[in-house]
Amino acid sequence: MPLSDPLTPGRVDWTGENPGILLRGPDGSFSAMSLFFRVAWSPAGAGQLLLLYGDPNDAGRGVSAPNVLMGDNGRLAEFLMQEFIGRLAAFRDAPPFHGLEYRPARSIRSSGDPMGRRYTETVAGDGLAIELVWEDLETPKALELVPEQTGTGRHVMFTVLVPARRARILVNGRQLPGEVGTRVQAGMETTTAFLYFSETWIIPGAE
Amino acid sequence: MKRTSINSGRVEWCGESPCIFLEQGGREAVSALVFRVALSPHGRGCGCIILGAPDDGAGWPLAPNLILADNQPLMRWIVDGWVGGMPQLGDRSGFRHMTWLDLDSSVRLPNADRARHSETLRGSGVEVELSWNGLGVPIPVEADREHSATGRHEMYSVFVEAEAASVAINGTVLPGSVADRQLFGKTMKSAFLALSQTWVSVPVKEG
Repeated sequence: MPLSDPLTPGRVDWTGENPGILLRGPDGSFSAMSLFFRVAWSPAGAGQLLLLYGDPNDAGRGVSAPNVLMGDNGRLAEFLMQEFIGRLAAFRDAPPFHGLEYRPARSIRSSGDPMGRRYTETVAGDGLAIELVWEDLETPKALELVPEQTGTGRHVMFTVLVPARRARILVNGRQLPGEVGTRVQAGMETTTAFLYFSETWIIPGAE
Repeated sequence: MKRTSINSGRVEWCGESPCIFLEQGGREAVSALVFRVALSPHGRGCGCIILGAPDDGAGWPLAPNLILADNQPLMRWIVDGWVGGMPQLGDRSGFRHMTWLDLDSSVRLPNADRARHSETLRGSGVEVELSWNGLGVPIPVEADREHSATGRHEMYSVFVEAEAASVAINGTVLPGSVADRQLFGKTMKSAFLALSQTWVSVPVKEG
């Protein structure tokens, strides 16, 4: 529940939506990883960005399983890579992190209903059409996390989590291998496919 | 007071609700609210409520009192559950006479310099243009029931105040200017973006 003082101390780093899909292979390691950002406010402006590690253990396998960064605001891509994604160990420590090139997207759209059965984000451009599909959606939960509970370790974060029990990543209509697994967030077991809405990252103590 | 990481309440809806309240002669002359809902029991949707002649018991086109919506059940639910309970809106005769119109398209344009923001909504022969100028720094807000607008919900959001704002219907600018208001125990402007907003119903404790 909210604290009794309605004004949260600290500086807003960015706010928006941040769904993702992390698929695991038979050995338990990640076989495909993706995050999508729909940012309503950041120091680099608003915009949308898709990060895909189609091949998290290598430099990418061309158009069939690319490692790619695609969006509609290059400055936002730079900001998120440096200040946010670069602080998430699972993404920062993966081999593709340092070789990613930003590509402008031609179209970005969402469909479905996050309180229904299915929700999607589709990003296209430069010969690639990447579709993220979440299915078997659970009831939304509002979370308020302190820095020790967040991936960056330095933010207070508000969000609405909608876990998905099934999810797929499609590249030009072909499904990437891997299955949705489990993870623990704030002491709660949840899945590695998730929608996050109304998400705000705040740096406590900063003005 | 310590944070509870997982809010035990029910997430009602989340999205954005940028607002403009203009005053003229010390009275509220115009109320304009945009709703861009990402998640709700009635699905997703976009719409706006314009109360441009709050004391006229008439709707569009006789008076600038209208609702544009692409998901009428969702907007009805928002009007009944949230907006109607706000005394500056729900108690005015124009509110009960607003004309309901179908929304065909909406464009949200956050400016790259982060100082301006505009929303344009079109449908049923009406074009509504709202603009916010002189935007300030984002303020994270977490309101318990006592501090939220409905008194029944907990609310999380990021507020960005505007020094000036305007509302126009089919090119005619409605009269009034931005004023100062007490909100969350702070003097704030009566025009603001409310980004990443989440409303949570919490059970009332007995006794």
